[in-house]
Amino acid sequence: MLWKRQIPILIVAVIGSITLFGWFINEPNIKSFVDDDATQWFDILASFAIFLGGFNLLKMQLQKIFRRQRGWQYSIFAIAGFFLAITAGFFYKGNPDVAWGTHVTADGTLFKWIFTYMFAPLQATMFALLAFFVASASYRAFRIRNFEATLLLVSGIIIMIGRVPLGSFISSWFILYLLVLIGGITVNSFFKNKQYTAIFVIVGIIVVTAAGSSLGWPLDQPGILYLPYLQEWIYKYPNVAGARSIMMGIGMGIFATSIRYILGIEKSYIGE
Amino acid sequence: MNDRDFIIGAGGVTFSFLIYWFMGHPFFIIERIVMFIAIMTFTGTLLFFIRKARRGEEIFLREIPGLKAVEEAVGRSTEMGKPVLFVPGIMDMDQVETVAGVIVLGHVSKMTARYETTLNVPVSRAIVMKAAQDVCKESYLMEGRPDMFHEDMVHYLTDEQFAYAAGVNGIMVREKPAACMYMGKFYAESLILAETGNSIGAIQIAGTASQAQIPFFVTACDYTLIGEEFFAASAYLSQRPELIGGIKGQDMIKIIIIGMIIGGVVLRFLHDGGMIDFNILEFLTVR
Repeated sequence: MLWKRQIPILIVAVIGSITLFGWFINEPNIKSFVDDDATQWFDILASFAIFLGGFNLLKMQLQKIFRRQRGWQYSIFAIAGFFLAITAGFFYKGNPDVAWGTHVTADGTLFKWIFTYMFAPLQATMFALLAFFVASASYRAFRIRNFEATLLLVSGIIIMIGRVPLGSFISSWFILYLLVLIGGITVNSFFKNKQYTAIFVIVGIIVVTAAGSSLGWPLDQPGILYLPYLQEWIYKYPNVAGARSIMMGIGMGIFATSIRYILGIEKSYIGE
Repeated sequence: MNDRDFIIGAGGVTFSFLIYWFMGHPFFIIERIVMFIAIMTFTGTLLFFIRKARRGEEIFLREIPGLKAVEEAVGRSTEMGKPVLFVPGIMDMDQVETVAGVIVLGHVSKMTARYETTLNVPVSRAIVMKAAQDVCKESYLMEGRPDMFHEDMVHYLTDEQFAYAAGVNGIMVREKPAACMYMGKFYAESLILAETGNSIGAIQIAGTASQAQIPFFVTACDYTLIGEEFFAASAYLSQRPELIGGIKGQDMIKIIIIGMIIGGVVLRFLHDGGMIDFNILEFLTVR
Protein backbone atom coordinates (compact mmCIF):
# COMPACT_ATOMS: atom_id res chain seq x y z
CA MET A 1 0.00 0.00 0.00
CA LEU A 2 2.84 2.35 0.92
CA TRP A 3 4.52 1.86 -2.44
CA LYS A 4 1.30 1.92 -4.44
CA ARG A 5 -0.36 4.89 -2.76
CA GLN A 6 1.53 7.01 -0.25
CA ILE A 7 4.84 7.16 -2.13
CA PRO A 8 3.29 8.09 -5.53
CA ILE A 9 1.12 10.74 -3.85
CA LEU A 10 4.19 12.12 -2.07
CA ILE A 11 6.13 12.23 -5.35
CA VAL A 12 3.26 14.09 -7.04
CA ALA A 13 2.99 16.53 -4.12
CA VAL A 14 6.73 17.26 -3.94
CA ILE A 15 7.37 17.53 -7.70
CA GLY A 16 4.11 19.46 -8.21
CA SER A 17 4.97 21.94 -5.45
CA ILE A 18 8.52 22.44 -6.76
CA THR A 19 7.17 23.01 -10.27
CA LEU A 20 4.50 25.43 -9.08
CA PHE A 21 6.49 27.42 -6.55
CA GLY A 22 9.78 27.11 -8.43
CA TRP A 23 8.41 29.73 -10.79
CA PHE A 24 8.57 32.28 -7.98
CA ILE A 25 12.08 31.38 -6.88
CA ASN A 26 15.18 32.73 -8.56
CA GLU A 27 17.44 29.78 -7.81
CA PRO A 28 19.34 28.21 -10.75
CA ASN A 29 19.14 24.62 -9.49
CA ILE A 30 15.37 24.71 -9.03
CA LYS A 31 14.97 26.50 -12.34
CA SER A 32 17.06 23.93 -14.20
CA PHE A 33 15.18 21.09 -12.48
CA VAL A 34 11.78 22.50 -13.46
CA ASP A 35 12.75 23.55 -16.99
CA ASP A 36 15.07 20.71 -18.02
CA ASP A 37 15.64 17.85 -15.61
CA ALA A 38 12.02 17.02 -14.79
CA THR A 39 11.00 17.00 -18.44
CA GLN A 40 14.05 14.92 -19.35
CA TRP A 41 13.18 12.41 -16.64
CA PHE A 42 9.74 12.13 -18.12
CA ASP A 43 11.16 11.68 -21.62
CA ILE A 44 13.48 8.91 -20.38
CA LEU A 45 10.58 7.15 -18.65
CA ALA A 46 8.45 7.50 -21.77
CA SER A 47 11.27 6.09 -23.92
CA PHE A 48 11.44 2.94 -21.81
CA ALA A 49 7.67 2.71 -21.74
CA ILE A 50 7.62 2.49 -25.54
CA PHE A 51 8.73 -1.15 -25.17
CA LEU A 52 5.50 -1.84 -23.29
CA GLY A 53 3.54 -0.19 -26.06
CA GLY A 54 5.44 -1.97 -28.81
CA PHE A 55 4.98 -5.40 -27.27
CA ASN A 56 1.32 -4.70 -26.64
CA LEU A 57 0.83 -3.69 -30.26
CA LEU A 58 2.62 -6.81 -31.47
CA LYS A 59 0.61 -9.05 -29.15
CA MET A 60 -2.71 -7.55 -30.23
CA GLN A 61 -1.93 -7.82 -33.93
CA LEU A 62 -0.63 -11.39 -33.66
CA GLN A 63 -3.74 -12.40 -31.70
CA LYS A 64 -5.85 -10.90 -34.45
CA ILE A 65 -4.09 -12.96 -37.10
CA PHE A 66 -4.11 -16.23 -35.17
CA ARG A 67 -7.76 -15.87 -34.20
CA ARG A 68 -8.71 -14.75 -37.71
CA GLN A 69 -10.58 -11.78 -36.28
CA ARG A 70 -12.36 -9.34 -38.57
CA GLY A 71 -9.84 -7.38 -40.64
CA TRP A 72 -6.94 -9.66 -39.66
CA GLN A 73 -5.31 -9.08 -43.03
CA TYR A 74 -4.51 -5.50 -42.03
CA SER A 75 -2.61 -6.83 -39.04
CA ILE A 76 -0.12 -8.48 -41.40
CA PHE A 77 0.72 -5.05 -42.77
CA ALA A 78 0.98 -3.64 -39.25
CA ILE A 79 3.43 -6.34 -38.17
CA ALA A 80 5.40 -6.11 -41.42
CA GLY A 81 5.67 -2.34 -40.97
CA PHE A 82 6.71 -2.79 -37.36
CA PHE A 83 9.60 -5.09 -38.22
CA LEU A 84 10.59 -3.11 -41.30
CA ALA A 85 10.92 0.05 -39.19
CA ILE A 86 12.96 -1.81 -36.53
CA THR A 87 15.23 -3.28 -39.20
CA ALA A 88 15.76 0.10 -40.83
CA GLY A 89 16.32 1.75 -37.45
CA PHE A 90 18.66 -0.74 -35.79
CA PHE A 91 20.04 -3.29 -38.24
CA TYR A 92 20.21 -2.08 -41.83
CA LYS A 93 21.11 1.47 -42.82
CA GLY A 94 20.95 0.99 -46.56
CA ASN A 95 23.86 3.43 -46.99
CA PRO A 96 27.23 2.39 -45.52
CA ASP A 97 28.63 5.95 -45.75
CA VAL A 98 26.23 7.26 -43.15
CA ALA A 99 26.95 6.81 -39.45
CA TRP A 100 24.57 5.03 -37.11
CA GLY A 101 22.34 7.55 -35.39
CA THR A 102 22.38 10.10 -38.18
CA HIS A 103 20.95 7.49 -40.53
CA VAL A 104 17.41 8.34 -39.35
CA THR A 105 17.61 11.78 -40.94
CA ALA A 106 20.33 11.38 -43.60
CA ASP A 107 19.34 11.01 -47.25
CA GLY A 108 19.89 7.69 -48.98
CA THR A 109 19.14 5.49 -45.98
CA LEU A 110 16.34 2.98 -45.73
CA PHE A 111 14.87 4.68 -42.68
CA LYS A 112 14.71 8.07 -44.40
CA TRP A 113 13.24 6.43 -47.50
CA ILE A 114 10.50 4.81 -45.41
CA PHE A 115 9.80 8.14 -43.75
CA THR A 116 9.71 10.17 -46.96
CA TYR A 117 7.97 7.78 -49.30
CA MET A 118 5.73 5.74 -47.02
CA PHE A 119 5.10 7.47 -43.73
CA ALA A 120 4.81 11.11 -44.86
CA PRO A 121 2.34 10.41 -47.73
CA LEU A 122 0.18 8.24 -45.47
CA GLN A 123 0.14 10.96 -42.84
CA ALA A 124 -0.64 13.61 -45.45
CA THR A 125 -3.52 11.46 -46.70
CA MET A 126 -5.04 11.32 -43.23
CA PHE A 127 -4.56 15.04 -42.79
CA ALA A 128 -6.13 15.73 -46.17
CA LEU A 129 -9.23 13.84 -45.11
CA LEU A 130 -9.78 16.69 -42.68
CA ALA A 131 -10.88 18.95 -45.53
CA PHE A 132 -13.82 16.66 -46.33
CA PHE A 133 -14.69 16.26 -42.67
CA VAL A 134 -14.65 20.04 -42.22
CA ALA A 135 -17.10 20.33 -45.12
CA SER A 136 -19.52 17.78 -43.67
CA ALA A 137 -19.20 19.22 -40.16
CA SER A 138 -19.79 22.76 -41.47
CA TYR A 139 -22.89 21.62 -43.27
CA ARG A 140 -24.24 20.19 -40.02
CA ALA A 141 -23.26 23.26 -37.99
CA PHE A 142 -24.73 25.73 -40.46
CA ARG A 143 -28.11 24.02 -40.82
CA ILE A 144 -30.76 26.49 -39.69
CA ARG A 145 -32.46 24.85 -36.70
CA ASN A 146 -32.83 27.64 -34.19
CA PHE A 147 -31.84 31.22 -33.49
CA GLU A 148 -28.31 30.33 -32.36
CA ALA A 149 -27.65 28.19 -35.44
CA THR A 150 -28.91 31.03 -37.67
CA LEU A 151 -26.64 33.47 -35.87
CA LEU A 152 -23.72 31.09 -36.42
CA LEU A 153 -24.59 30.74 -40.09
CA VAL A 154 -24.82 34.50 -40.65
CA SER A 155 -21.57 35.17 -38.72
CA GLY A 156 -19.84 32.35 -40.59
CA ILE A 157 -20.92 33.69 -43.97
CA ILE A 158 -19.86 37.25 -43.07
CA ILE A 159 -16.45 36.07 -41.88
CA MET A 160 -15.89 33.79 -44.87
CA ILE A 161 -16.87 36.40 -47.45
CA GLY A 162 -15.26 39.27 -45.57
CA ARG A 163 -11.88 37.52 -45.45
CA VAL A 164 -11.57 36.91 -49.20
CA PRO A 165 -10.84 39.60 -51.85
CA LEU A 166 -14.39 39.31 -53.18
CA GLY A 167 -15.71 40.63 -49.85
CA SER A 168 -14.02 43.99 -50.29
CA PHE A 169 -15.84 44.51 -53.60
CA ILE A 170 -19.27 44.05 -52.07
CA SER A 171 -20.70 47.46 -51.27
CA SER A 172 -22.25 48.30 -47.91
CA TRP A 173 -25.32 49.45 -49.85
CA PHE A 174 -25.86 46.00 -51.23
CA ILE A 175 -25.88 44.70 -47.64
CA LEU A 176 -28.36 47.47 -46.75
CA TYR A 177 -30.70 46.36 -49.56
CA LEU A 178 -30.37 42.79 -48.26
CA LEU A 179 -31.24 43.98 -44.77
CA VAL A 180 -34.34 45.71 -46.11
CA LEU A 181 -35.44 42.43 -47.73
CA ILE A 182 -34.70 40.45 -44.54
CA GLY A 183 -36.66 43.08 -42.61
CA GLY A 184 -39.52 42.56 -45.07
CA ILE A 185 -39.52 38.84 -44.32
CA THR A 186 -39.57 39.58 -40.59
CA VAL A 187 -42.45 42.07 -40.98
CA ASN A 188 -44.39 39.58 -43.06
CA SER A 189 -43.91 36.73 -40.61
CA PHE A 190 -44.85 39.01 -37.72
CA PHE A 191 -47.94 40.81 -39.13
CA LYS A 192 -48.89 38.32 -41.86
CA ASN A 193 -50.08 41.25 -43.97
CA LYS A 194 -48.87 41.71 -47.58
CA GLN A 195 -49.61 45.45 -47.60
CA TYR A 196 -47.46 46.11 -44.57
CA THR A 197 -44.69 44.03 -46.06
CA ALA A 198 -44.88 45.82 -49.41
CA ILE A 199 -44.89 49.24 -47.71
CA PHE A 200 -41.90 48.31 -45.55
CA VAL A 201 -39.87 46.98 -48.48
CA ILE A 202 -40.72 49.87 -50.83
CA VAL A 203 -40.05 52.54 -48.21
CA GLY A 204 -36.81 50.77 -47.24
CA ILE A 205 -35.59 50.60 -50.84
CA ILE A 206 -36.46 54.27 -51.45
CA VAL A 207 -34.68 55.39 -48.26
CA VAL A 208 -31.55 53.34 -49.04
CA THR A 209 -31.50 54.52 -52.68
CA ALA A 210 -31.97 58.15 -51.65
CA ALA A 211 -29.24 57.92 -49.01
CA GLY A 212 -26.90 56.17 -51.44
CA SER A 213 -27.48 58.71 -54.19
CA SER A 214 -26.94 61.66 -51.89
CA LEU A 215 -23.67 60.20 -50.50
CA GLY A 216 -22.31 59.00 -53.86
CA TRP A 217 -22.52 55.26 -53.13
CA PRO A 218 -19.19 54.93 -51.26
CA LEU A 219 -18.17 51.24 -51.21
CA ASP A 220 -17.17 51.12 -47.54
CA GLN A 221 -19.79 53.43 -46.06
CA PRO A 222 -21.63 52.93 -43.74
CA GLY A 223 -18.60 51.09 -42.31
CA ILE A 224 -20.62 48.85 -40.02
CA LEU A 225 -22.05 47.08 -43.08
CA TYR A 226 -18.82 46.82 -45.07
CA LEU A 227 -17.96 43.12 -44.90
CA PRO A 228 -14.17 43.38 -44.32
CA TYR A 229 -14.78 45.73 -41.38
CA LEU A 230 -17.75 43.77 -40.10
CA GLN A 231 -15.90 40.43 -40.15
CA GLU A 232 -12.98 42.00 -38.34
CA TRP A 233 -15.30 43.34 -35.65
CA ILE A 234 -16.99 39.93 -35.22
CA TYR A 235 -13.59 38.24 -35.11
CA LYS A 236 -12.04 40.70 -32.65
CA TYR A 237 -14.88 41.32 -30.22
CA PRO A 238 -17.75 38.79 -29.84
CA ASN A 239 -15.47 35.93 -30.87
CA VAL A 240 -12.60 36.93 -28.57
CA ALA A 241 -15.00 37.55 -25.68
CA GLY A 242 -16.44 34.05 -26.00
CA ALA A 243 -13.05 32.43 -26.53
CA ARG A 244 -11.51 34.20 -23.54
CA SER A 245 -14.31 33.19 -21.21
CA ILE A 246 -13.80 29.56 -22.27
CA MET A 247 -10.05 30.00 -21.86
CA MET A 248 -10.49 31.37 -18.35
CA GLY A 249 -12.77 28.47 -17.47
CA ILE A 250 -10.17 26.03 -18.81
CA GLY A 251 -7.41 27.76 -16.86
CA MET A 252 -9.51 27.64 -13.73
CA GLY A 253 -10.26 23.95 -14.27
CA ILE A 254 -6.59 23.11 -14.84
CA PHE A 255 -5.56 25.10 -11.78
CA ALA A 256 -8.15 23.51 -9.49
CA THR A 257 -7.41 20.01 -10.82
CA SER A 258 -3.65 20.49 -10.41
CA ILE A 259 -4.09 21.74 -6.84
CA ARG A 260 -6.26 18.69 -6.10
CA TYR A 261 -3.50 16.40 -7.41
CA ILE A 262 -0.71 18.24 -5.57
CA LEU A 263 -2.58 18.20 -2.27
CA GLY A 264 -3.60 14.58 -2.70
CA ILE A 265 -7.32 15.38 -2.68
CA GLU A 266 -7.86 13.71 -6.07
CA LYS A 267 -6.26 10.28 -6.10
CA SER A 268 -8.33 8.51 -8.72
CA TYR A 269 -5.41 8.50 -11.20
CA ILE A 270 -3.61 5.93 -9.06
CA GLY A 271 -6.78 4.10 -8.12
CA GLU A 272 -9.16 4.50 -5.25
CA MET B 1 -7.30 16.13 9.28
CA ASN B 2 -9.70 17.91 11.64
CA ASP B 3 -10.39 21.64 11.76
CA ARG B 4 -7.84 22.28 14.46
CA ASP B 5 -5.05 20.55 12.54
CA PHE B 6 -6.07 22.38 9.37
CA ILE B 7 -5.96 25.79 11.07
CA ILE B 8 -2.61 24.97 12.68
CA GLY B 9 -1.23 23.81 9.31
CA ALA B 10 -2.51 26.86 7.41
CA GLY B 11 -1.34 29.19 10.16
CA GLY B 12 2.07 27.52 10.19
CA VAL B 13 2.50 27.95 6.45
CA THR B 14 1.40 31.61 6.60
CA PHE B 15 3.64 32.31 9.61
CA SER B 16 6.64 30.65 7.92
CA PHE B 17 6.09 32.70 4.80
CA LEU B 18 5.82 35.92 6.83
CA ILE B 19 9.10 35.13 8.62
CA TYR B 20 10.70 34.39 5.24
CA TRP B 21 9.30 37.65 3.88
CA PHE B 22 10.53 39.81 6.75
CA MET B 23 13.94 38.16 6.58
CA GLY B 24 14.34 39.80 3.19
CA HIS B 25 12.73 37.04 1.12
CA PRO B 26 15.93 35.74 -0.53
CA PHE B 27 15.55 34.23 -4.06
CA PHE B 28 11.90 35.34 -4.28
CA ILE B 29 11.07 37.03 -7.58
CA ILE B 30 9.30 40.08 -6.23
CA GLU B 31 7.73 41.01 -9.62
CA ARG B 32 5.64 37.84 -9.39
CA ILE B 33 4.14 38.56 -6.00
CA VAL B 34 0.68 39.33 -7.45
CA MET B 35 0.55 35.91 -9.09
CA PHE B 36 1.79 34.29 -5.88
CA ILE B 37 -0.91 35.99 -3.81
CA ALA B 38 -3.54 35.03 -6.41
CA ILE B 39 -2.46 31.36 -6.29
CA MET B 40 -2.47 31.30 -2.50
CA THR B 41 -5.89 33.01 -2.33
CA PHE B 42 -7.40 30.66 -4.88
CA THR B 43 -5.88 27.61 -3.19
CA GLY B 44 -7.23 28.82 0.16
CA THR B 45 -10.70 29.32 -1.33
CA LEU B 46 -10.63 25.83 -2.85
CA LEU B 47 -9.53 24.24 0.41
CA PHE B 48 -12.14 26.15 2.38
CA PHE B 49 -14.98 24.79 0.25
CA ILE B 50 -13.50 21.31 0.10
CA ARG B 51 -13.47 21.25 3.91
CA LYS B 52 -17.01 22.62 4.01
CA ALA B 53 -18.15 19.79 1.75
CA ARG B 54 -16.28 17.23 3.83
CA ARG B 55 -18.11 18.45 6.93
CA GLY B 56 -21.31 17.40 5.22
CA GLU B 57 -22.63 20.71 3.92
CA GLU B 58 -24.88 20.13 0.95
CA ILE B 59 -23.50 21.64 -2.23
CA PHE B 60 -25.59 22.11 -5.33
CA LEU B 61 -23.99 20.88 -8.53
CA ARG B 62 -25.84 21.90 -11.67
CA GLU B 63 -26.76 19.18 -14.09
CA ILE B 64 -24.23 18.71 -16.88
CA PRO B 65 -26.02 17.02 -19.81
CA GLY B 66 -22.78 15.58 -21.21
CA LEU B 67 -21.99 13.75 -17.99
CA LYS B 68 -25.54 12.65 -17.45
CA ALA B 69 -25.38 11.16 -20.93
CA VAL B 70 -22.36 8.98 -20.09
CA GLU B 71 -24.49 6.39 -18.32
CA GLU B 72 -27.11 6.69 -21.04
CA ALA B 73 -24.44 5.99 -23.67
CA VAL B 74 -23.16 2.93 -21.83
CA GLY B 75 -26.75 1.73 -21.39
CA ARG B 76 -27.36 2.18 -25.11
CA SER B 77 -24.28 0.13 -25.93
CA THR B 78 -25.49 -2.60 -23.60
CA GLU B 79 -28.91 -2.71 -25.25
CA MET B 80 -27.38 -2.83 -28.71
CA GLY B 81 -24.76 -5.39 -27.69
CA LYS B 82 -21.98 -3.20 -29.06
CA PRO B 83 -18.80 -1.96 -27.41
CA VAL B 84 -18.04 1.41 -25.85
CA LEU B 85 -15.04 3.17 -27.36
CA PHE B 86 -13.05 5.48 -25.11
CA VAL B 87 -10.30 7.69 -26.55
CA PRO B 88 -8.15 9.38 -23.87
CA GLY B 89 -6.54 11.90 -26.23
CA ILE B 90 -3.20 11.76 -27.96
CA MET B 91 -0.92 13.23 -25.32
CA ASP B 92 1.02 11.71 -22.45
CA MET B 93 0.39 11.67 -18.70
CA ASP B 94 2.29 14.94 -18.26
CA GLN B 95 -0.80 16.74 -19.56
CA VAL B 96 -3.50 17.45 -17.02
CA GLU B 97 -6.22 16.77 -19.62
CA THR B 98 -4.91 13.24 -20.14
CA VAL B 99 -4.96 12.61 -16.39
CA ALA B 100 -8.52 13.98 -16.24
CA GLY B 101 -9.45 11.72 -19.18
CA VAL B 102 -8.01 8.66 -17.44
CA ILE B 103 -10.01 9.55 -14.31
CA VAL B 104 -13.21 9.74 -16.36
CA LEU B 105 -12.25 6.40 -17.90
CA GLY B 106 -12.26 4.97 -14.37
CA HIS B 107 -15.90 5.97 -13.97
CA VAL B 108 -16.86 4.78 -17.44
CA SER B 109 -15.20 1.41 -16.85
CA LYS B 110 -17.18 1.04 -13.63
CA MET B 111 -20.35 1.47 -15.68
CA THR B 112 -19.24 -0.99 -18.36
CA ALA B 113 -18.41 -3.49 -15.60
CA ARG B 114 -21.84 -2.96 -14.03
CA TYR B 115 -23.67 -3.33 -17.34
CA GLU B 116 -21.36 -6.09 -18.63
CA THR B 117 -20.54 -4.12 -21.74
CA THR B 118 -17.36 -4.42 -23.80
CA LEU B 119 -14.96 -1.52 -23.40
CA ASN B 120 -12.30 -0.65 -25.97
CA VAL B 121 -9.63 1.90 -25.12
CA PRO B 122 -7.04 2.49 -27.87
CA VAL B 123 -4.24 4.73 -26.57
CA SER B 124 -1.40 6.59 -28.21
CA ARG B 125 1.10 6.60 -25.35
CA ALA B 126 2.57 3.64 -23.50
CA ILE B 127 2.46 5.35 -20.08
CA VAL B 128 -1.20 6.22 -20.62
CA MET B 129 -1.79 2.57 -21.52
CA LYS B 130 -0.39 1.37 -18.19
CA ALA B 131 -2.27 4.01 -16.20
CA ALA B 132 -5.52 3.28 -18.03
CA GLN B 133 -5.09 -0.49 -17.56
CA ASP B 134 -4.63 -0.01 -13.82
CA VAL B 135 -7.61 2.30 -13.55
CA CYS B 136 -9.85 -0.09 -15.49
CA LYS B 137 -8.64 -3.09 -13.53
CA GLU B 138 -9.49 -1.40 -10.28
CA SER B 139 -12.92 -0.31 -11.53
CA TYR B 140 -13.77 -3.87 -12.51
CA LEU B 141 -12.53 -5.11 -9.12
CA MET B 142 -14.59 -2.50 -7.29
CA GLU B 143 -17.69 -3.47 -9.22
CA GLY B 144 -17.08 -7.11 -8.30
CA ARG B 145 -16.42 -8.17 -11.90
CA PRO B 146 -12.67 -8.95 -12.07
CA ASP B 147 -13.55 -11.84 -14.40
CA MET B 148 -14.68 -9.38 -17.04
CA PHE B 149 -11.47 -7.41 -17.02
CA HIS B 150 -8.76 -8.24 -19.51
CA GLU B 151 -5.70 -6.11 -20.11
CA ASP B 152 -6.27 -5.97 -23.85
CA MET B 153 -9.31 -3.75 -23.45
CA VAL B 154 -6.71 -0.96 -23.15
CA HIS B 155 -4.26 -1.32 -26.00
CA TYR B 156 -1.54 0.71 -27.59
CA LEU B 157 -1.74 1.81 -31.22
CA THR B 158 0.99 4.33 -32.02
CA ASP B 159 2.48 7.60 -30.83
CA GLU B 160 1.96 9.23 -34.22
CA GLN B 161 -1.01 11.58 -34.43
CA PHE B 162 -2.55 10.66 -37.77
CA ALA B 163 -1.52 7.02 -37.62
CA TYR B 164 -3.40 6.89 -34.34
CA ALA B 165 -6.40 8.62 -35.91
CA ALA B 166 -6.32 6.06 -38.74
CA GLY B 167 -6.13 3.20 -36.25
CA VAL B 168 -9.05 4.48 -34.17
CA ASN B 169 -11.08 5.13 -37.32
CA GLY B 170 -10.42 1.55 -38.40
CA ILE B 171 -11.67 0.25 -35.05
CA MET B 172 -14.78 2.41 -35.36
CA VAL B 173 -15.59 1.27 -38.86
CA ARG B 174 -14.96 -2.43 -38.13
CA GLU B 175 -16.49 -2.73 -34.65
CA LYS B 176 -19.15 -0.03 -34.95
CA PRO B 177 -19.26 0.92 -31.26
CA ALA B 178 -22.58 2.25 -30.02
CA ALA B 179 -20.90 4.92 -27.91
CA CYS B 180 -17.70 6.87 -28.54
CA MET B 181 -16.15 9.01 -25.84
CA TYR B 182 -13.29 11.40 -26.44
CA MET B 183 -11.84 12.70 -23.19
CA GLY B 184 -8.39 14.20 -23.15
CA LYS B 185 -6.11 16.43 -25.17
CA PHE B 186 -6.72 16.52 -28.89
CA TYR B 187 -5.35 18.32 -31.90
CA ALA B 188 -6.27 18.16 -35.60
CA GLU B 189 -7.38 14.52 -35.37
CA SER B 190 -10.39 15.50 -33.26
CA LEU B 191 -12.67 16.13 -36.24
CA ILE B 192 -11.45 13.02 -38.10
CA LEU B 193 -12.39 10.89 -35.09
CA ALA B 194 -15.66 12.65 -34.29
CA GLU B 195 -16.92 12.69 -37.89
CA THR B 196 -16.15 9.00 -38.32
CA GLY B 197 -18.00 8.29 -35.07
CA ASN B 198 -20.88 10.34 -36.36
CA SER B 199 -20.95 8.44 -39.64
CA ILE B 200 -21.36 5.09 -37.85
CA GLY B 201 -24.27 6.47 -35.81
CA ALA B 202 -22.62 6.20 -32.41
CA ILE B 203 -23.69 8.39 -29.52
CA GLN B 204 -20.70 10.63 -28.97
CA ILE B 205 -19.52 12.46 -25.87
CA ALA B 206 -16.41 14.60 -25.93
CA GLY B 207 -14.54 16.46 -23.25
CA THR B 208 -11.45 18.53 -23.82
CA ALA B 209 -9.63 21.62 -22.73
CA SER B 210 -8.07 22.05 -26.17
CA GLN B 211 -9.79 25.28 -27.06
CA ALA B 212 -9.27 25.02 -30.81
CA GLN B 213 -10.90 21.57 -30.93
CA ILE B 214 -14.04 22.44 -28.96
CA PRO B 215 -15.96 23.76 -32.03
CA PHE B 216 -15.25 20.54 -33.92
CA PHE B 217 -16.49 18.40 -31.08
CA VAL B 218 -19.56 20.61 -30.57
CA THR B 219 -20.40 20.15 -34.25
CA ALA B 220 -19.82 16.42 -34.56
CA CYS B 221 -20.67 15.06 -31.10
CA ASP B 222 -23.97 14.72 -29.28
CA TYR B 223 -22.57 16.15 -26.06
CA THR B 224 -19.45 18.15 -25.39
CA LEU B 225 -17.88 18.98 -22.06
CA ILE B 226 -16.42 22.41 -22.61
CA GLY B 227 -13.27 23.29 -20.72
CA GLU B 228 -13.97 23.34 -17.01
CA GLU B 229 -16.95 20.98 -17.33
CA PHE B 230 -14.44 18.34 -18.37
CA PHE B 231 -12.42 18.88 -15.21
CA ALA B 232 -15.61 18.76 -13.15
CA ALA B 233 -16.43 15.34 -14.61
CA SER B 234 -14.67 13.40 -11.90
CA ALA B 235 -16.58 15.25 -9.16
CA TYR B 236 -19.88 14.86 -10.98
CA LEU B 237 -19.48 11.17 -11.69
CA SER B 238 -18.02 10.19 -8.33
CA GLN B 239 -20.23 12.54 -6.24
CA ARG B 240 -17.43 12.62 -3.68
CA PRO B 241 -17.98 15.60 -1.35
CA GLU B 242 -14.38 16.84 -1.39
CA LEU B 243 -14.39 16.97 -5.19
CA ILE B 244 -17.78 18.66 -5.34
CA GLY B 245 -16.50 21.13 -2.75
CA GLY B 246 -13.64 21.89 -5.13
CA ILE B 247 -16.14 22.73 -7.89
CA LYS B 248 -17.94 25.13 -5.54
CA GLY B 249 -14.55 26.64 -4.70
CA GLN B 250 -13.89 27.12 -8.41
CA ASP B 251 -17.19 28.96 -8.77
CA MET B 252 -16.26 31.23 -5.89
CA ILE B 253 -12.90 31.95 -7.51
CA LYS B 254 -14.80 32.82 -10.67
CA ILE B 255 -16.85 35.35 -8.71
CA ILE B 256 -13.62 36.84 -7.34
CA ILE B 257 -12.21 37.04 -10.88
CA ILE B 258 -15.37 38.66 -12.24
CA GLY B 259 -15.14 41.23 -9.44
CA MET B 260 -11.48 41.81 -10.30
CA ILE B 261 -12.29 42.26 -13.99
CA ILE B 262 -14.98 44.84 -13.20
CA GLY B 263 -12.71 46.56 -10.68
CA GLY B 264 -9.85 46.47 -13.19
CA VAL B 265 -11.96 48.08 -15.90
CA VAL B 266 -13.03 50.87 -13.50
CA LEU B 267 -9.44 51.46 -12.33
CA ARG B 268 -8.15 51.50 -15.90
CA PHE B 269 -10.92 53.94 -16.86
CA LEU B 270 -9.96 56.22 -13.96
CA HIS B 271 -6.25 55.94 -14.89
CA ASP B 272 -6.89 56.73 -18.54
CA GLY B 273 -9.09 59.67 -17.49
CA GLY B 274 -6.19 61.05 -15.47
CA MET B 275 -8.03 60.73 -12.16
CA ILE B 276 -5.58 58.29 -10.55
CA ASP B 277 -1.93 57.43 -11.07
CA PHE B 278 -2.27 53.73 -10.23
CA ASN B 279 -1.94 51.64 -13.41
CA ILE B 280 -3.74 48.33 -12.93
CA LEU B 281 -2.24 46.88 -16.12
CA GLU B 282 1.26 47.56 -14.87
CA PHE B 283 0.36 45.98 -11.54
CA LEU B 284 -1.18 42.83 -12.98
CA THR B 285 1.29 42.19 -15.80
CA VAL B 286 3.21 39.01 -15.02
CA ARG B 287 6.94 39.25 -15.67
